[in-house]
Amino acid sequence: MLSGDQSVIELREVQKKYAPDIVPLENVNLTISKGEFVFLTGPSGAGKSTFLRMLYKAEEPTGGTIIIDGVDLSSLSKSQIPQLRRKVGVIFQDFKLLYHKSVFENVALSLEVLGFKKDQLANRVRQVVEGVGLSSKLHRKVVQLSGGEQQRVAIARAVVNRPPIILADEPTGNLDRKRTMEVVTLMEELNARGATIIFATHDETLFKNTHRRVLYIKDGKIEER
Amino acid sequence: MPLGIIFKRAFRDIRQNLVTHIMTTIVVALTCLVFIFFSIFSLNLQRIADRFGRELAIVVYLKKDIPQNKIPSLYQKITSMKEVEKVKFISSEEAFKRLENYFKDEKEVLEGVDPLFLPPSFEIQINRAVYNPSRVRAMAKELAQWPEVQKVQYGKEWVDRLESFSEAVRAAVIASAVLLLVTAAFVVSNTIKLTVYARQDEIEIMRLVGATNGFIQGPFLLASFIQGVTGSLVALIVGLFCYKYVYGIIGQTELIKSLDLQYLPPSYMAVIVLVSGFFCMIGTAMALRRFLKL
Repeated sequence: MLSGDQSVIELREVQKKYAPDIVPLENVNLTISKGEFVFLTGPSGAGKSTFLRMLYKAEEPTGGTIIIDGVDLSSLSKSQIPQLRRKVGVIFQDFKLLYHKSVFENVALSLEVLGFKKDQLANRVRQVVEGVGLSSKLHRKVVQLSGGEQQRVAIARAVVNRPPIILADEPTGNLDRKRTMEVVTLMEELNARGATIIFATHDETLFKNTHRRVLYIKDGKIEER
Repeated sequence: MPLGIIFKRAFRDIRQNLVTHIMTTIVVALTCLVFIFFSIFSLNLQRIADRFGRELAIVVYLKKDIPQNKIPSLYQKITSMKEVEKVKFISSEEAFKRLENYFKDEKEVLEGVDPLFLPPSFEIQINRAVYNPSRVRAMAKELAQWPEVQKVQYGKEWVDRLESFSEAVRAAVIASAVLLLVTAAFVVSNTIKLTVYARQDEIEIMRLVGATNGFIQGPFLLASFIQGVTGSLVALIVGLFCYKYVYGIIGQTELIKSLDLQYLPPSYMAVIVLVSGFFCMIGTAMALRRFLKL
């Protein structure tokens, strides 16, 4: 078993099958500790996204147990899924933003669902948007921003409610080198503030000289490098 | 989730899709209007039937040569019938006086006429609580067979016809209500579905950031309730104007005035508004359930 201390994510014998011959994950055992920054890599189609989607219950494993912050996901009812997703901030490769809404509205959405009051919400959004370097574009429509800026909006939205776990699914896939490094730096800052991060990427240069754990996923198996 | 956020999001949705929401509200209003017209017709018909039913009297004309001493026992006999509310004896003299009153200024036509030429009679008021057309018919038949009775007269047949017509109209109102409300719910749910399609991305993102089903559904349900309520209110106002307009044209005749026609009572209007809002909400809830796979 791949493990760390004080686990916040734990997988036991997790399996995911789409058809008898399509097995993205097979008997995976893995533990990720609180405050860890883990790279998840592997070829395209190896199952990185599937792995992450199972962690926020967008997909169900075919077998095994997934425990997030002490909660067995299989025990969660449909009505309890929102509680899990408030603990897990997700950053997508395709950003998943509302392009005809402003930066403020996009980021505020995560706090609106929590029932934040107007003033409190505005303060928190401004603070986080400033943190990703977009305060001058707070009221711009997302469609008017560059790809790198859009990705930073997506990061702001994922972290504004201060989730203890952040899952980043190829967050730099559409960005140039400079923007990519900006995103990595941002993620490192979030990690330094205590968030546990799983950063999925197939870009090996991002973790070539890293001291962090790198998990390699291929043929349904996850190995540590 | 605080109600304030549901309201804010619902009104923002309405503002952003104003034309669609207005069109839907118009359809709901037209649907309710048809129902309202049926209801005005049915309720007033029922009022007329009730009124005539209440005022229904059986008149038992006695033979002219009936001995005076037989009258009290006949009175007792009629009063003891349980269908009877009140009995009044009209002597030949009193009947003649009524006739004189009826002619008023033209009393001279009765000059030389024997004041006793009209037969004495009993006017029987039917007890409304036990009113039953078949029992009244049987009672009238029985009275007609008494040897002292010359003729029994009552306007039951047309009151019965009026009542059965009014029953048929009421059944039509109920059937149309169900049909029209289902239509309204269907139209509103489809509008909401269009809004949901248009906002599919937003809904998906809301789910990913931990929105509860209530947070997602609440604004849609509120918007459809507002459509149902607004549509029915518009229909009630238009219906009132139409009623007043038509009454202004036909209401001048004595006959119509005597019928004391009325618009829908406030409680009935409140029920229409609430049921319309509720049905629109139910339709939307069902559409969302299917669409959002909640």
